[in-house]
Amino acid sequence: MKKITKIIILFGLLGLLITSCDNELTIFPEDSLSSDTFFKTDADFEQAVNAAYVPLRNIVNDRAWLLGEMHSDNTYYARNVLFGATEQQEDVADFAIPSDGGVTTNTHVTNQYILDYRIIARTNQILASLEVAEGLDAAAAANVKGQSLFLRAYAYFELVRYFGSVPLHLVPVTKREEAALPLSTAEEIYAQIISDALEAITLLPPKSQQDPGRVTVGAAQTLLANVYIVRQQWAEAESLLLTVVNSNEYMLMPEYADAFPGNTDNKNNAESVFEVQFKEGPEGLNSSFIYNFLPRPITAEEVATLTGTSNAQPVNGEGNNIPTPDIIAAYEAGDKRKNASIDSITLSGGFWKDGTYPIIKKFRDTHSLHGNHGMNWPVYRYSEVLLFLAEALNEQSKAGADTYLNLVRTRAGLLGATGDMREAILNERRVELAFENKRWFDLVRTGRATEVITAYGNRIKATPSDYYYPEGAAPRGNAFTNISLLYALPAAEADLSPNF
Amino acid sequence: MGKKFNKITRTFILVFSLIVASNANAQDRVVTGTVISSDDSSGLPGVNVLVKGTTNGAVTDFDGRYNITVANDNDVLVFSYIGFTTQEISVNGRSEVNATMAEDATNLEEVILVGYGSQLKREVTGAVQTLKADTFKDIPVSQITQKLQGQLTGVQINQTTGKPGEGMSVRIRGQFSISGGSSPLYVIDGFPITGDISTINPDEIQDISVLKDAASTSLYGSRAANGVVLITTKRGITGQTNVSLNVSTGLQEVPMRGRVKMMDAVQFAQFKKEYYEDQGDPVPPIFQNPSQYEGQTNDWYDALLQTAPVQTYNLTVTSNTEKLKTALVAGFFKQDGVVINSDYERYSLRMNMDYNISEKVKVGFNLAPSYIKDNTPRTDGSRGTGILFNALHTWPIMPIYDANGELTYSNTLPASTGNIFTYANWVRSAQQIVNETKDINLLSNAFIEYRPIKGLTLKSSINAEIYSSRFKFFSPSTATYRINRPIPATSESQRIDTNDFSWLNENIATYDRSFGEHNFQLLGGFTYQTFRRDQTIIGLDTFSDDRLPTIQGAANINRGGTNDFVQEWSLASFLSKLTYNYMGKYLLTASIRSDGSSRFGSENRWGTFPSVSVGWVVSDESFMDQYESISMAKIRASYGVTGNNNIGNYTQYALIDNTQNAAFGNDLVPGSAVNSLSNTNLGWETTKQFDIGLDLSLFNDRVSFVYDYYSKNTSNLLYAVQVPQESGFTEFSDNIGEIKFWGHEFGLNTVNTTGKLRWTTNANISFNRNEVLSLADGIDRVYGNWHITQVGQPFGQFYGHIADGVYLNQADLDSSPQVPGRSTVGSIKLVDVNGDGVITRGGDNDDRAIMGSPFPDFTYGITNTLTYGNFDFSVIGTGSQGNQLLVRHLFSTTNLDGVFNLLEDVQYRFRSVDNPGRGFYGTTVGGGNVTGIERDWVNSRFVADASYFNIRNITLGYTLGGVKNFFDSARIYASIQNVHIFTKYWGGPNPEISVQDNGQGDGGNLSSGVDISGYPVPRIFSIGVNLNF
Repeated sequence: MKKITKIIILFGLLGLLITSCDNELTIFPEDSLSSDTFFKTDADFEQAVNAAYVPLRNIVNDRAWLLGEMHSDNTYYARNVLFGATEQQEDVADFAIPSDGGVTTNTHVTNQYILDYRIIARTNQILASLEVAEGLDAAAAANVKGQSLFLRAYAYFELVRYFGSVPLHLVPVTKREEAALPLSTAEEIYAQIISDALEAITLLPPKSQQDPGRVTVGAAQTLLANVYIVRQQWAEAESLLLTVVNSNEYMLMPEYADAFPGNTDNKNNAESVFEVQFKEGPEGLNSSFIYNFLPRPITAEEVATLTGTSNAQPVNGEGNNIPTPDIIAAYEAGDKRKNASIDSITLSGGFWKDGTYPIIKKFRDTHSLHGNHGMNWPVYRYSEVLLFLAEALNEQSKAGADTYLNLVRTRAGLLGATGDMREAILNERRVELAFENKRWFDLVRTGRATEVITAYGNRIKATPSDYYYPEGAAPRGNAFTNISLLYALPAAEADLSPNF
Repeated sequence: MGKKFNKITRTFILVFSLIVASNANAQDRVVTGTVISSDDSSGLPGVNVLVKGTTNGAVTDFDGRYNITVANDNDVLVFSYIGFTTQEISVNGRSEVNATMAEDATNLEEVILVGYGSQLKREVTGAVQTLKADTFKDIPVSQITQKLQGQLTGVQINQTTGKPGEGMSVRIRGQFSISGGSSPLYVIDGFPITGDISTINPDEIQDISVLKDAASTSLYGSRAANGVVLITTKRGITGQTNVSLNVSTGLQEVPMRGRVKMMDAVQFAQFKKEYYEDQGDPVPPIFQNPSQYEGQTNDWYDALLQTAPVQTYNLTVTSNTEKLKTALVAGFFKQDGVVINSDYERYSLRMNMDYNISEKVKVGFNLAPSYIKDNTPRTDGSRGTGILFNALHTWPIMPIYDANGELTYSNTLPASTGNIFTYANWVRSAQQIVNETKDINLLSNAFIEYRPIKGLTLKSSINAEIYSSRFKFFSPSTATYRINRPIPATSESQRIDTNDFSWLNENIATYDRSFGEHNFQLLGGFTYQTFRRDQTIIGLDTFSDDRLPTIQGAANINRGGTNDFVQEWSLASFLSKLTYNYMGKYLLTASIRSDGSSRFGSENRWGTFPSVSVGWVVSDESFMDQYESISMAKIRASYGVTGNNNIGNYTQYALIDNTQNAAFGNDLVPGSAVNSLSNTNLGWETTKQFDIGLDLSLFNDRVSFVYDYYSKNTSNLLYAVQVPQESGFTEFSDNIGEIKFWGHEFGLNTVNTTGKLRWTTNANISFNRNEVLSLADGIDRVYGNWHITQVGQPFGQFYGHIADGVYLNQADLDSSPQVPGRSTVGSIKLVDVNGDGVITRGGDNDDRAIMGSPFPDFTYGITNTLTYGNFDFSVIGTGSQGNQLLVRHLFSTTNLDGVFNLLEDVQYRFRSVDNPGRGFYGTTVGGGNVTGIERDWVNSRFVADASYFNIRNITLGYTLGGVKNFFDSARIYASIQNVHIFTKYWGGPNPEISVQDNGQGDGGNLSSGVDISGYPVPRIFSIGVNLNF
């Protein structure tokens, strides 16, 4: 009997263990939140929208200047014949991106695509979660929603201009089957961009009431105006741009050189409509783009003269985004912007001529540590709003275009524009917005890309030594063989998507 | 070290003398005798003599003599000895009892360990291989897995790097998954450990059972698919007290065979000279006269190597009395690495104790602490991140020592010489970089066993494992492990503190019952195990003083590299097993386990793993009596389902990355984003395995043979399926696809001669095959680093372009497909696989193809053991046939731009139409646009045959008799490990290598078989002595 009691007790204990085990089998990670526990509070949504801005840093720091500026007649690379593995950049600058079957393996093209969709996924998640979240502060939620819509529209605007037809994701992906969508036409993408931007305009506060650096109603209006200009909907653009001008939220900085954010100061200044935000320091929020624009090989001492850092290091490889003779020649005599935008450096180890290369100056500011600076990247400046407005008026043959154009020219120390107004505005855009990744898009939307780039390619091939090729070096055989108005879609995505 | 060791020794000798002394009881009378072998009538040492029904026993001495005290004239003595048939002889009042023992090669009455119990070997119905510690005792290495190389049928064990204490890859029956782990489950004294098997002192091990088929493993359920290795640690042998001391010491060196043949200084200068000449450029002065470097080669690789000592000390004390069975193993192992400043040392202790409280109640405790310290200064790593790799690449004209005989700091030549990178002094870096791990492990078990009624056993156990590790990396400003870090470099450090705790409770009831010739055993139980890891990683840089690598000494804490991690899992299981046989001849086993795991998605929390196996001992049938030569024949078959739960602890959840911070103005604001997709259906990987086997013993057990055929399908493989990034995500973790594995395994044991010269051979050969049957919907291929896994093909094949020499002349170039804008006369010629007239790379329909396979056609092992009188001699050989390696370092060691030092063979490259070289390496003219194809487009020239046969170990031993009052017997031996490797492999010294791109061992399954130049495996000469007291 005693024995049996013992056995019963033993198995009774076992039973206790078993009943408690389903709870024991649910373990949420302790070192990370999960989607089950997030997107509940105002703070959660603010963190989420902050994260939606993050991919922009990578876009403007690492590749927008490649795809938008070096992929034009404004800048080129400074060939370093001793350095290999530079095809990825060279192919972009040389209009020689291999695009087999309509897709390309170019890493910069691929990354641009991925980063834009990362913004889209994050904003989709926010917009969907806002629908079901309860008890949020209405104003804060509207602001978050407005920022999200702006960022989604901005990302699609980049995509549609780079690629044309792309997949249109508007809700978060939750299953593998939902990951790939069919390509939507450019027309469908534009319709979504316009709808998102219009809604953002109704939700976002003006610059004076928004945290500095976040997008504002003015930024959304400028973005939408840009969309309309690309689509040649001049009247719609005009009315939006006039709203921005009449908002009294913006003005031109007195000096052109002061329009650009410094390492810590002058960020989001009166002229700034939208800039991608960076912060110097060890938190990983810094920019480093001016290092991408250094001709090379460059010694530590030479780097220090440009950056003022205490720990300057030599940089090897191939320098990118070097101003071409073409852009240098595009400045009219007496244009103060030329010296504000471009200076030069002489490299002791340079391969080209005497080693003196032109170099972009307008974004540069001194900072503390090598490779780590805090300069923001301007996306929209008020001067572009004025030039857009001039263009919109001129294209409708309305009066007043010269007024807005000359506001920009006057600051640059120039007299009023003469000659053909359309040409004048385009050339003004070229020099005012030089190196701000506008040139390629301008060439495409004005229908000049093929003609301008073909001529530019011929100049490089005829006189490579004018375009930073060391003596005896020549452009690669495939240079300027693929002048296409759109980038091919990424091959890595094509591999995974059944749709393209 | 010596002092410490002596102290430990003394302490334990003292403790155990006390235990031994307490065992001495007054006895009635003494019986003596001699035990001889029936073969040659020589005395048999080490035979176990036991008074039946008691725990009173003795062991024969060197000449086979024993004496034992018996209480009663009618007592029966039991003589047992491994490999011999056990005998029982009644004392019958005699004072001398002699015994003659006959060999029993198959040991049919042997009891072997199986999952959750033990079983007569002849009644086992699964594929199980058992090894006794004796078979690997002399091999002078630190890890048990190293000792097992070549000894196990169907188990491929590779030493992927020579780093002391690391780098073993163990695969049972070729099993692997895409991303789940592939290592077998190690169960030590019933406890499935969560830590690393390499931390276990091999001398603590008594025997090992390797469970291969599903019927043997399925009781381990969702952790069984990779096979299970059961390890029993030493226990007291009934009736004996044994003290033995095993000491060995050796020297290790890196053989010259197989080292990568790089250019010497003259060859390198000549290459550079030709490089400039061929381009039509002026030759920099330092290369104009290559012969000036005659005799001035700086062999950076060799400078990192050293001859290094290795030593082992083990003291084992076992004791057994009627009530108490104890074993104690104290071990010390120290291995200096063959790369300077690398070493490994392990202090270990194991105390096992079983105590019979009463006839019905037994308790047991095991406690095994160990402390391990090792250091390896970032030797392995590709792309300029491993010191050995870097040393191969450093220009041989760059001096190791300066004019004063001091080590240089770093070497850079003017850019005009084509020198792009700064090379630190790797010798100095190896000396100064600290990359040290200190581990504390504690394995412990406690159990209580209760037999309330005849046949019923209730056993409850608590097992715990504690692992605590401190890792410290420090690279001072005078050193670096990276190419192109000027000295002084930024000093940097990383700390990783890891604390693991796992516990397991098992409650198992077993009931044995026979009805006539029907024998049943029924087992049922419940187990629960949890694991938790707390880990802190701290990244630091810019130390104010290299002598103070403290946290407070760092100017900068690297935010991105400073993190806390918690990893947890829990596993609850029900298990049950029925074993039945009729007359010991018709055998049946069925088992089932149900596992619930926190790792499985909420919609898929429980998995069930059944198996069934049958056996037929044909030789017991009367119709077999006519075949006298067959002493035992058994046919067995099994089928079962097992799982692999190595799918990550939190893979099912959509996690929030809360480090996506943004800046606005100059302020940091926190940012969070979902960074993975959730999968509530995520589950284990399922393997369904069928096995059929034959066990055969012939000629009075002189020949025994085991054959197994298996076929298994692994499905629901965990894979982070790449999704288009238009989704915002890179992957979705899902259970996908199916892989079929099948193979044949043959094991053969023969006693070739008996008598004074006894020669036995143990050979095994295994043929493993696999084929991918399906991947995910819409996915027919998965790319690895330089690999492809494709439906209809074996897994993880090397994938790249097929090289076809170089374009010999303009006509050749014009008539051949080219890489547009890049191919030139003299550049590498690749095959136009897709036939579109141009060579392209990228996408599914480019010109890449399968170039080779990391999987061997077969692997084999052969061990010959000879004993002649007091001498013993053994040779172990292991081999692998038909597999290839991808020599990944070629992308830089044959970089035609002259950036690095080059393989010697690059001198035979294409130089001109009239001097086309050997057609293997192309022209240097044209820069990266031309040479980059050859370098960056991995092609079939990178693939090398890695078949090998390694004489793994040769040992010669001599056993000598006791010295009175000092020791009872002794054995001295000398051994050589990694004697010689016969191979055509030319990519490096180790044809077993397989490393990941980050330099860590065992390249992962999608990308295995890659040589990026890792730590060489040393040859070890050692001598040892084993004293029994």
